[in-house]
Amino acid sequence: MVRSVADRAFLPTKNLLEEVGDMMILTGKTISSALRPPYPYGGEFVSQFLFAIKLCWFPLLVSTVAFGFGAPGLQAANFLVIFGALDRLGGFFVLASIREFAPFVTAIVLAGVAGTAITADLGARKIREELDALQVLGVDPVKNLVVPRFLALMLVTGLFNIYALIFGVFGGILATLTNGAPLGPFWATFFTNASTTDLWGSVLKTTLFGAIIAIVCCYKGMTASGGAEGVGRAVNQAVVIAFLGVFAFNYVFTQTLLATHPEILVPR
Amino acid sequence: MSEDKMQADDATRVASVVDDRDDEFKWHTGKQLPTGVQDAIEFVDVHKAFGRNKILRGLNMGIPEDKISMILGPSGTGKSVCIKHMVGLLYPDQGDIIVHGKSVPMMHDDELFDMRKKFGVLFQDGALFGSMNLLDNVAFPLRQHTDKGEEEVMEIVNRRLAEVGLTNAGDKMPNELSGGMRKRAGFARALVLDPDIVLFDEPDSGLDPVRTALLCELIQEIHEENGGAYVVITHDIMSARRVAEHISVLWKGRIVESGPAEQLFNSDNAFVRQFLAGDSQGPLGME
Ligand SMILES: Nc1ncnc2c1ncn2[C@@H]1O[C@H](COP(=O)(O)OP(=O)(O)OP(=O)(O)O)[C@@H](O)[C@H]1O
Ligand SMILES: [Mg+2]
Repeated sequence: MVRSVADRAFLPTKNLLEEVGDMMILTGKTISSALRPPYPYGGEFVSQFLFAIKLCWFPLLVSTVAFGFGAPGLQAANFLVIFGALDRLGGFFVLASIREFAPFVTAIVLAGVAGTAITADLGARKIREELDALQVLGVDPVKNLVVPRFLALMLVTGLFNIYALIFGVFGGILATLTNGAPLGPFWATFFTNASTTDLWGSVLKTTLFGAIIAIVCCYKGMTASGGAEGVGRAVNQAVVIAFLGVFAFNYVFTQTLLATHPEILVPR
Repeated sequence: MSEDKMQADDATRVASVVDDRDDEFKWHTGKQLPTGVQDAIEFVDVHKAFGRNKILRGLNMGIPEDKISMILGPSGTGKSVCIKHMVGLLYPDQGDIIVHGKSVPMMHDDELFDMRKKFGVLFQDGALFGSMNLLDNVAFPLRQHTDKGEEEVMEIVNRRLAEVGLTNAGDKMPNELSGGMRKRAGFARALVLDPDIVLFDEPDSGLDPVRTALLCELIQEIHEENGGAYVVITHDIMSARRVAEHISVLWKGRIVESGPAEQLFNSDNAFVRQFLAGDSQGPLGME
């Protein structure tokens, strides 16, 4: 009895660790088969790329403006107003939007919108035995399905990050205007604090978020089992694991970036 | 089914296994009556479990070359799992599967892809590609593995679709078709490369009796034309009587008895008799 309760509490963790291991293996396979010729995945790559853009551009626009305006915009502005330092909001947005919020909102929207679509699609194919049929017909699902999704999602996430930080900063502008302050000081502190390290760090980070989301969602789709219900479960787990992965990776990445580029820690 | 209930079911099943461990394999003589030809596919003491769910438990089975073989057995005994082992989609926990003298689990990826070109497989649910219409589905193996021109491909595809009575459905998507139509399209796709080894997982399920009879004739015709080892899984005893040249009866992950069809239909094994007669009285219950 005690044993079975313990099993029930801890087995999921053990399974999760096993799955993470499998996902690492899938990542390795994906990268090696992306590099090794032949390259039959061009068409699928383009269609997945456009598909992700079509699905995500609007949700991302709304989320980033609303989030930028609401969370760091209004809240931080309220706080800064106490010190009469609203001009510092621009500088804060470098930190808030470029380094953290834009990548985060991008990752969340992409995992929730494009990632779930990938899991549902691959899961349905797995359930209908299409993936088995492909393999028997000599088509490698990793090379032909996972690789294009992996590359497309990395590229899309990286690009969408720039899009997200533009609209995020737009949210900050709205917040400044709401407080009746002029925009000049906002831009002034924004640009003294922004560095190229911030920008490439942010883009690199989101590109890797895209890789994590793609691998998790492809893995969950390709290992779905148990009929239509199983696909639903796979989608649900894919989102959860992708978020966990993104959060954990973000921590590691931020620590590493700050350790290797201590100058960006200093507010100017 | 809820997880708890499943665990409870598991528990009772395990208990019943323990109870009658001695006579669980009472009917499994494992007799492999001689067929007089070589085996195209051989299972050697294959074990396979999914988690704690043991499916294949020491399976020894031979599929003779150049014959139409049928694998018969109760639902859920692992017939589809067998097929997946033959093409290297599943790997055994223990034991070996030998196709034309080569061990499938030992193959490298490249060898495996090469070997699969010999196979034509009809999966239980058809496994058509949902994003392509029927023509493209059936043309897929030709485009993948041959250098044939588009005209020739279409000619072959149309001939194959006509054979299974889908002449006018070529531009339909799989989700617009009935289950039986999908089955027939999958059948056409499996045969389009004239493969050496053909695996049909229940080609006749979901078809009306007349179409089943016609499909059986078609299997025989195509086999006469091309030869090769055909493996047909079916629950339909009528089909088995019509086309089977060799029969393997699978139960609880092992062969009960296998051999030439007429000998099995006259077997004195109680389980085989019950199963081939479709009788409710005998060793097999609902369980
Ligand atoms: N990938 C898998 N993961 C876990 N369990 C599986 C998997 N594939 C099959 N099984 C289990 O193996 C058992 C045998 O399945 P299989 O599909 O081979 O049965 P079958 O003999 O083909 O039955 P039917 O005649 O109903 O098609 C089932 O209990 C099934 O739940
Ligand atoms: Mg089956």
